Amino acid sequence: MALMRRCAPLFARCIKIPPMTLQSQKIHRWVAPTLVELKRREKKLGGKKTNPRNTFLEWNLEAELYAFGKRLNEEFDSDLLLQAFTDRTYIIKEEMKQKEMGVDIPMKDNMELIAEGEKFINEYVQLYLETVLPKFPLEGVNEVRNYLTNEDRLAKISLSLGTKDIILAAEYPVDNYILANTFKAIVAALLESTSEERAAHFVRDFVITQLQGKDVNEYWNIEDPWTMLTGILEKDGSKVEPRLIGEVGKNTLLACYRIGLYVNKKMISEGFGEKIEIAKEMAAREALKRIFGTEDHMKPINFKISGIPKGSSQERYQIASN
Amino acid sequence: MSANNLFLKSAFVRAPLKNGVGRYVCQLQRIVFKFCKSNGASRGMRDFIEQDLVDFSKDNPGVVVYLKPRRHRGPVIVGEYLNGDRLWMSVHNKTHEEIVKWVELFRTQQGNNWNSRLRKYQYTNHPSVQGPWTPFTFKDPELNTAELPDVRFGSNNRLPATATEQLRLMFEKQKLDELKTAE
Repeated sequence: MALMRRCAPLFARCIKIPPMTLQSQKIHRWVAPTLVELKRREKKLGGKKTNPRNTFLEWNLEAELYAFGKRLNEEFDSDLLLQAFTDRTYIIKEEMKQKEMGVDIPMKDNMELIAEGEKFINEYVQLYLETVLPKFPLEGVNEVRNYLTNEDRLAKISLSLGTKDIILAAEYPVDNYILANTFKAIVAALLESTSEERAAHFVRDFVITQLQGKDVNEYWNIEDPWTMLTGILEKDGSKVEPRLIGEVGKNTLLACYRIGLYVNKKMISEGFGEKIEIAKEMAAREALKRIFGTEDHMKPINFKISGIPKGSSQERYQIASN
Repeated sequence: MSANNLFLKSAFVRAPLKNGVGRYVCQLQRIVFKFCKSNGASRGMRDFIEQDLVDFSKDNPGVVVYLKPRRHRGPVIVGEYLNGDRLWMSVHNKTHEEIVKWVELFRTQQGNNWNSRLRKYQYTNHPSVQGPWTPFTFKDPELNTAELPDVRFGSNNRLPATATEQLRLMFEKQKLDELKTAE
């Protein structure tokens, strides 16, 4: 009996136990542990290292600068372009190096170009937006311009034009601030090496086109649309009348009210919401969009205006003065 | 095989930096040809360099071309794109014609899209042009002038036809057919 009892586990091991589930899920259980181990080894060696592209054997700055202009279909002055890519931090680092070696080679940084480019971009984007959004108030235009010319946006554009590897800076990878500044400097370099029109088209093709597929109303937050709407309509001598034109599911969680705004017994807009106040606000927003010419079904923004357009800041609704 | 078994990231079709809305920018920024001057595996690559490389760089001045001869190493093409992608490809024993085709592919791609799986062949930021749905969206215009409560609007019109109703309809149809044959 004792022998049998001792042999029982051996016996049981001999019988092949059929799997409980015939089809098992294929989960790659080795992936996460492998990645963790690789990460651990990388950390042990002192973190991930990114070598600057310009320290590679296959690197020729002159060829890169030439190709940069050709790629964008522009004729840059090569010295100006090199200056546009030279950041202040690089100059400081180089001067320290040169002092140690006892030589002195004068270099120019892109500080002046940045200031010039920033001024040009801001002015041109403002004029362009005033032309393509003729009825949009100045406050809204300014907000859209701020969106287009903020640091993150310009840095993203700069990165997508391939400036990251060419920039001469003390650090690598370069941060957003330097990327955005380089883009401004490039615009200034183009302005000086060709004409104002070429530079304007450059800004149009890479900055203004960022508005493609976007809703311009999103960038301008109107705090109190109802007051703004009544203010604008009072100037024209007409009075707006909100009417409740539908309500569903009153006193429930899924209530929905619909409000129409009427001027001289003609509906100008409608809005809906879970409360009457919200519906009224939404209707006012819709009416404002209609007045400003930025409805959901507005014509797409024209990205093909050539030359520098003339703005129209004088003939606009002055919201702030109300 | 399902998507779970693949180590491919999924992606949507996108144009980098709204490419083409303003002007077209070739997304390949530099290409490196690595080859051996004597090894047979680099034969096709050497033919390509002798016959086509000058024309390639003349036609594409925006692409920086580097040549890197390496003794007794396999031939390789490395493409670098404006979005930061790096695409490495071995062209071991590839013929001249094959390399021409691969280089053309490198030039026309927008990045290393070999490591992503497209979910769809189209993409839109605005799936609906009607705006969000509300209970009023497809409302019957007749309701605007109706006096409520009304039996017509209150009745349940979603029930299937009853057997009696179906029989009545069949009978009426039969009568109509008889009238037609009599004429």
